[in-house]
Amino acid sequence: MLKRFFYSKKIAPYIFVLPFIITVLLFWAAPISNGILLSFQDILKDQWVGTQNYERLLSDKIFLKAIFNSVKYMLGTLILLIPFPLLFASLLNSKLMKKPGLFKSAYFIPALTSVVVAGTVFRLMFGEAAGSLANQVIGFFGFSPIKWLKNAETSYFILLLVACWRWTGVNILYFLAGLQSIPSELYEAAAIDGASKWQQFTKISIPLVKPTSVYVLTISIYAGLSMFLESYMLFKGNNSPNNIGLTIVGYLYRQGIEKRAMGYACAVGCILLLIIMAVNLIQLKLTGAFGKEEK
Amino acid sequence: MGSRKKKDKAASIAMIILFSVLAILIVLPVFTLFIASFKPGGDLLQYGLNLDLKLERMSLDNYVLLFTGNHDYWRWFLNSIVLTVLTVFCTLFVSAFVGYGFAVYDFKGKNFLFIIVLIILSIPLEVVMLPLYKQISGWGDNYAAIILPFMAHASTIFFFRQYLFGIPQSILEAGRIDGATEFGIFFRLIIPVMKPAFAAMAILNGMNAWNNYLWPLLVIRSSSKYTLTLGLNTLINPYGDNYSLLIVGSFFSIVPIFILFVCFQKYFVEGMTAGAVKG
Amino acid sequence: MKRRVLAALLSVTMTAAFLMGCGKDAKRETVATNEMEVEGDDVTTLKVWTFIEFHQKFYTDMAKKWNQEHPDKKVKLVLSNLSYDDMHNKLSLALESKEGAPDVVDIELGKFPAFMVGEVGLRDLTDVIEPYKKSIVKSRLDIYSKEGKIYGLPTHVGATVAFYNTDLLKTAGINYEDIKTWDDFKEAGVKYYKATGKSFATIETTAQWMINLMLAQKGGDYLKEDGSLNVNNEIMAEVLEYIKGMQDTGAFSVIPGGQPDNEEAYPCYNNGEYAVQIMPFWNTSRFVNYMTDLAGKVAIAPTPVWKTSDKEFASIGGGGTGTAIVASGKHADLAAEVMAYIKLSEEANKEVWNVLGFDPVNTEVWSDTEITQNADNQYVKYFSNYPFDTLNKIKDNIGSLGSLTDEKWPSINNEFCTVTLNNIFENGMEVKEALKESQATLENEFKK
Repeated sequence: MLKRFFYSKKIAPYIFVLPFIITVLLFWAAPISNGILLSFQDILKDQWVGTQNYERLLSDKIFLKAIFNSVKYMLGTLILLIPFPLLFASLLNSKLMKKPGLFKSAYFIPALTSVVVAGTVFRLMFGEAAGSLANQVIGFFGFSPIKWLKNAETSYFILLLVACWRWTGVNILYFLAGLQSIPSELYEAAAIDGASKWQQFTKISIPLVKPTSVYVLTISIYAGLSMFLESYMLFKGNNSPNNIGLTIVGYLYRQGIEKRAMGYACAVGCILLLIIMAVNLIQLKLTGAFGKEEK
Repeated sequence: MGSRKKKDKAASIAMIILFSVLAILIVLPVFTLFIASFKPGGDLLQYGLNLDLKLERMSLDNYVLLFTGNHDYWRWFLNSIVLTVLTVFCTLFVSAFVGYGFAVYDFKGKNFLFIIVLIILSIPLEVVMLPLYKQISGWGDNYAAIILPFMAHASTIFFFRQYLFGIPQSILEAGRIDGATEFGIFFRLIIPVMKPAFAAMAILNGMNAWNNYLWPLLVIRSSSKYTLTLGLNTLINPYGDNYSLLIVGSFFSIVPIFILFVCFQKYFVEGMTAGAVKG
Repeated sequence: MKRRVLAALLSVTMTAAFLMGCGKDAKRETVATNEMEVEGDDVTTLKVWTFIEFHQKFYTDMAKKWNQEHPDKKVKLVLSNLSYDDMHNKLSLALESKEGAPDVVDIELGKFPAFMVGEVGLRDLTDVIEPYKKSIVKSRLDIYSKEGKIYGLPTHVGATVAFYNTDLLKTAGINYEDIKTWDDFKEAGVKYYKATGKSFATIETTAQWMINLMLAQKGGDYLKEDGSLNVNNEIMAEVLEYIKGMQDTGAFSVIPGGQPDNEEAYPCYNNGEYAVQIMPFWNTSRFVNYMTDLAGKVAIAPTPVWKTSDKEFASIGGGGTGTAIVASGKHADLAAEVMAYIKLSEEANKEVWNVLGFDPVNTEVWSDTEITQNADNQYVKYFSNYPFDTLNKIKDNIGSLGSLTDEKWPSINNEFCTVTLNNIFENGMEVKEALKESQATLENEFKK
């Protein structure tokens, strides 16, 4: 009996995926349904309040600002963190490039630093004092010191800078891996046909790394919309001036933990879930990735 | 032909310049941190973080403090190592196990389950953070609560499945003919050929575990269990020698993981390439 | 290839060996910082959370004294220090889920009302405070009270005073003792600015030390008498307009970090970029620790008032840390008794001044010149006049704002320090408009 169990090709796959099923049920399905239930309650008063949390959310200007900030940040990272790393990766992958390994290691350093360290370093680099690195640099060009983290534009710039700093290297590696799985014969053939490097890049590299691009796009959307810690460290807490650094998750954290409005926070979580699902569906539809994944 | 070579050479030099500039920009913040690690922590408050080399104010004092001082840094460091190693080990093992199931078998419900993998891949932990915390807050103050919920890690499973698509069916058949059980095949035949994939995922998961902040912050309660990120964050107040330790400790927290990365980088790219998302 | 693997192995073993060595060493030493060493068998361990590392040594020192006096009730404190936000957040999560809370926790005044909502998870401390009550400033107990029960043990009075850098003022020909009213203050600022080109004092955007003082002196508040929200009121607007007027002179500007008690602000003072702080008394400790170059140059004086003829508050209590006991803790009763001793006994109150440099809540200490004028005391040495001379002058006229204990306060505070004050002093928004906007935002939040 036991023997049949271990040798059965019918049962084995279920054993293999069992840890995943358990994880999904215990650590995703349960909390998500719990979160949905909580979002219709006021936990401190311990009562059901119907859709009141959601109604309040829709007229909550700060929440709308948080959504705006998160989406703006996400779009910024998409624009900066997909095309450029792809371009850099193809250049690094080219035969003309000497010692690419050295550069790859250097570009990867930021991803190895924790956001706690990175956020603190950038916060101090972009300090208000005239002696901070950023103000020294602009001072060199004759500008007076800027309060970098106090107005919306410059702090958006810094948040994007931190994102680029941390993820350019990782995305380069993702794209390099994708590029290296393209057979080099394709490029050779194209070169014989007289295609320029640029044409090779746009006609061969870009279409053939599309699966990688879709993957990077997916995780970038995910990471962009759920960004929190970068802002938390950069503004030394969840309270940025005029909420310029407040994100959806930051608002969830503020309501659920700082203000102990767990029900309201869970409503924020549910809306975040909806937004992410919607964006991903659109994205997968547009890139046509769903059909391909299924094989 | 000669002009072509010249052109190539020019392109090659241009590229090296481009990438060197990029490398300098990227390393700059870490380098600033490195410079600052030789200055008294108080200077950070006084002058901000910058690249000024004031030799008369620079010393190894911070490093002396780091290695001989009376503080918790090394306890955090050790905790982080323990947590990272445990996380990487458990995540890789469980995810490879599941990924193998998805890659080589056909079974009822597989497509449905795999869609769930894809969905979970795109749900941030933060969405379930509060209810999940409520759910496991009774587990007490231990690392299990940090590791267990994320052992079957969707993106790692996804990667291993991709990687294992490339495994020839003949290996499996040969194993079955030799009388190995389905699990025996996985343990004895498959795990050894997955080394590059393990290297790639070890680096990615290791990085995340080493730098993880939010979830451990919620789960861990006593300071004797703090990880490096939690501990460093407690130093962000100018009391005593805190800033000196913060700066030198932050810098040093990058060093071990960087050494590991440099050593395994080759396998990393190799593994990522083999498991790269294929159309 | 082989060399690489070798290098990898080598570095791993090296790190490991090095870690083990250091790990052990550090472990032995760190015991001293986080855990007390207590001899004896019958010792109760109490977990304590703080958000100011500063307080830890004070607690362990006092606990040792407790153990000496009460050998039958020995305690061992295990202290964890977390950042301000993280600690309060973890506490609220722990109380929410009823798991993982410490026995003793320091709660900052601004956050305290948040823990007074709904079912209070903290122990009523009225009984353990009783023996000390008569000599404690009552208003400092009131701020941690709800419905007649006291939930927090105060650390200090936090009387708001003025810290003048007399060295800098002299160069501009200003005598700080002549500054009696806010108009004098403003005038002195303009004079100082003309003479030096530097800012006189800061405009606050991330705290309300000066704002609350001015507001209380005028009899204003953030709430109506019935407790309903009223940040958009006449007195508030008058105060903020007045401060705006100060900013318009150019002599007052927003300091990096938005308030004096801030890591970015300390060096600005230390470098002489600003000359005056209107701050609670506990700022003495920041001067001594972080603004070391100013030793001997700073005088403490009563703050200005609106009109000397009016009966205005000379000061208000600002900031504070209420030590609370988690009600569900196994040793809650013992913890309450010990902490009351650690924070309220006369012994403790002397140490609050000696070690921390705060104005103790037991005012008997204030007139004990042996302590307050002790020439060896680092705080006495630092300031150019006796700090307690000023305190004793204002002693009977220290007021407070009613809203600070209201459960709406954390949200109001949050809105002011992130939005309202920034709008007015950084973005140039009209005071009335900014107040109107914040009133609306807060109304939406309280509309449950």
